[in-house]
Amino acid sequence: MGTDSTIDSLNPMVAFQATAIWVHTNIYPYLLNYNKNAEIIPSFARSWKASDGGRTYTFHTVPNAEWSDGKPLTAKDAAWTINTLVKYKSGPTSYWEPQVLHITKADAPNDNTLVVHYNKPIATALSNILQFPILPEHVWGKLATGNGKELKTYPNTPQNGKPLVSGGPFMLTKYQKDQLAILQANPHWWGPKPHISGFGIQIFSNSDAMLSAFKNGQIDAIDDVPNTAVDTLKKAGFVVRTTPGNFFYDFIINSNPKKPEHRELLNVKLREAFEYAIDRQRIVNVALNGFGTIGATIVPATTGKWHDSNVKPLPFDLAKANGILDSLGFKRGSNGIRVADGHPMSYQVIVPNSRTDVLTPTFRVIQGDFRKIGISLQEKVLDPNGAFEAITAPNDKYLNFDLAMWDWIPGEDPDSILSVLLCNQYGSNSDTGYCSPAYDRLYREQAEAIDVDRRVQIVHEMQAMIAHDRPYIVLNYPDVIQAYTKNWTGFYDLPGEGIFDVYQSMLDVHTTS
Amino acid sequence: MKRGDYVVKRVVFALITIFVAITLNFFLFRVLPGSAVTNIARVPHASPQLIHSLEREFGLDKPKWEQYLLYLDNLAHGNLGISFADQQPVSQHIRQDLANTIPMLSLGTVVAILMGLVSGVVAAWRRGGLGDYASSGVALFLYSFPTQWLGLMLLIFFAGLLPAGGMSNPFAFNQTYVQHLEDLLRHMILPSLTVALTLYGGYTLIVRSAMLETLGEDYVLTARAKGLSNWAVIRRHALRNAMLPTVTLIALGLGSIVGGFILVEVVFSWPGIGQAAYEAVVQRDYPMLQAVFLVLTISVVLFNLLADLLYLKLDPRVSE
Repeated sequence: MGTDSTIDSLNPMVAFQATAIWVHTNIYPYLLNYNKNAEIIPSFARSWKASDGGRTYTFHTVPNAEWSDGKPLTAKDAAWTINTLVKYKSGPTSYWEPQVLHITKADAPNDNTLVVHYNKPIATALSNILQFPILPEHVWGKLATGNGKELKTYPNTPQNGKPLVSGGPFMLTKYQKDQLAILQANPHWWGPKPHISGFGIQIFSNSDAMLSAFKNGQIDAIDDVPNTAVDTLKKAGFVVRTTPGNFFYDFIINSNPKKPEHRELLNVKLREAFEYAIDRQRIVNVALNGFGTIGATIVPATTGKWHDSNVKPLPFDLAKANGILDSLGFKRGSNGIRVADGHPMSYQVIVPNSRTDVLTPTFRVIQGDFRKIGISLQEKVLDPNGAFEAITAPNDKYLNFDLAMWDWIPGEDPDSILSVLLCNQYGSNSDTGYCSPAYDRLYREQAEAIDVDRRVQIVHEMQAMIAHDRPYIVLNYPDVIQAYTKNWTGFYDLPGEGIFDVYQSMLDVHTTS
Repeated sequence: MKRGDYVVKRVVFALITIFVAITLNFFLFRVLPGSAVTNIARVPHASPQLIHSLEREFGLDKPKWEQYLLYLDNLAHGNLGISFADQQPVSQHIRQDLANTIPMLSLGTVVAILMGLVSGVVAAWRRGGLGDYASSGVALFLYSFPTQWLGLMLLIFFAGLLPAGGMSNPFAFNQTYVQHLEDLLRHMILPSLTVALTLYGGYTLIVRSAMLETLGEDYVLTARAKGLSNWAVIRRHALRNAMLPTVTLIALGLGSIVGGFILVEVVFSWPGIGQAAYEAVVQRDYPMLQAVFLVLTISVVLFNLLADLLYLKLDPRVSE
């Protein structure tokens, strides 16, 4: 299988590239998992129960399971993993800190029972626990001593020809940085056996080379197919899989109420006019080659029940946009550009260069239409770090920037995407300067709502609030595009995710013959 | 004595250049807007504490001059630091990357030098004739191509015949040593060819013009008058004297071998030092960037020094 996303590290305390995480999902056990409806299902934990008003969760794990080296895999490994993540969360394991939020400790009273204690009930207890792998204590235990620094510096690669001690359906037998990873079926795997004896991931630094290798039969499946290649691949007889991604592009309007200049941008009516002037469908056609869905809310439809389908995008209507701006009293100057508080309505749009392939054509569509409503836009491309600094300037106060464009990967549970708009995210994840006490209150309520229906209701309310305030104008959800040869079938179809993202992908894969 | 002075002067100059480059490398990346930890810290619920703890971990919370002194101190002890991206020692990565890059680029460069010498000599000898036009025309044509474009064209043209990327077939198991070597060579052909085609034009032009100069000299006329064969005239009298500028160019070219051809490596997914530089830039991996640039600087300076010293041997006039 070929991918153009690299494996940055195989250490779960360090890795954050998608391919690295996919390798982890294939080689490590996870307590829980998602099914095709984005619902939580059992994995290494066969059943679970909340008690003490949501302060305690008890999991019953698979009995008689083993690691790939034959050592027992028990609830004790899970408890050790959780306790280690908690113990070092302000240091080496800070990467997983959000996932162990409010956990005080974990116990394993016996080999098949895991008890996790929280200092307060949280709605995301299960979706948090679902994200991190269970690590073998007999390998990692010796690293979790002293300041725990070794937890992060451990390379976690196969050594001396021996596979990495694995507890998932596959084990990692060979790894060469920036080149390949070979996974073979784990003979000690406790779940349903995969049909294949193993698979390899080849890493390309250039998608044309990857496509060429795919077309010539050097590899059987590829990730991240450029949307321009879809037709050619289909004509050549390959299976091309497209699915709306759990991902969106957004148009950002600085929402910091303390913004000193261009304060007209804080006006909700003006933001509405902006949305009327954005031709979402044309952006999908031009920038995504048609491979995407127009969108309006920050919680995409791929998340199932969490998505509020009542939040709908405004239709593209320049007359309406002009009408609103006229009614707000922004008169046009001699050059056709409107004037607000004595200055021409001309703004800079910050764009990260990592996404210019899509965002620059997007910008051009918006720029052309905004010109027709008397607003002038200029694109300012910066590298992602520079773009983020320009948005947060000065010193995380969000006072300088006007407009920007970027993207988010919201995840299956809405908690993380909802959190980026909190007041306390200034300088961390906020790229809008949005800060609303009412929104923060709703966020806290949903985070503590143990009752799912109640939580769904609050999450919908929050989406409506953001759609109204418009710190983001959500533009579209691009498709995930992947391709494989007709010789293979059985790839797992999880909505919003590619076959290279979920471990179930390789469990049922088999040849068509 | 004069000769000794020349050598000492060159060596001191090389050392100063390296020191200035080290300093520039350090500050160059740090004056860019944005922080090295922004990317790593953009995880759900990231708190300012996470950013600060990462900055502390990487030593970025210290004042720049203190970071600089620390960097110099580490360098003096041969410690290139720990990569921000994967927490592994940078020196280990650099060693592996160099081991991957050098064979591929050496092959390309050697082929380029040979092709450049032959086509340069042909062009000069047949000056104004068909041989000159054909040989310098093709060389100029290839020389003016952007490397990455040439690489992509070769990749498309040889699709199916030669591997499209990587250093070896990842799915070939239990290979013998010979099979492995063969596999490696097959993977090396396209990237090395791209390097050779990009470089040889430059050599052709230099060899051609140097040859033209020497061919007009009286000693060549004398050699011809003596009745020497064409080959002997070229080899013993013309080419040897035309080697001076060519040696400089070759030495400079060798310097860049170690630095890697970033674009060639990225196009062909060659896991060498050029690709490492590219990734380090994308990830703002300061220690890795510094190390890559350090290796590049040192190799360019050293090969320049080598060229200077070779000059001394080839042309004793330089020390006078």
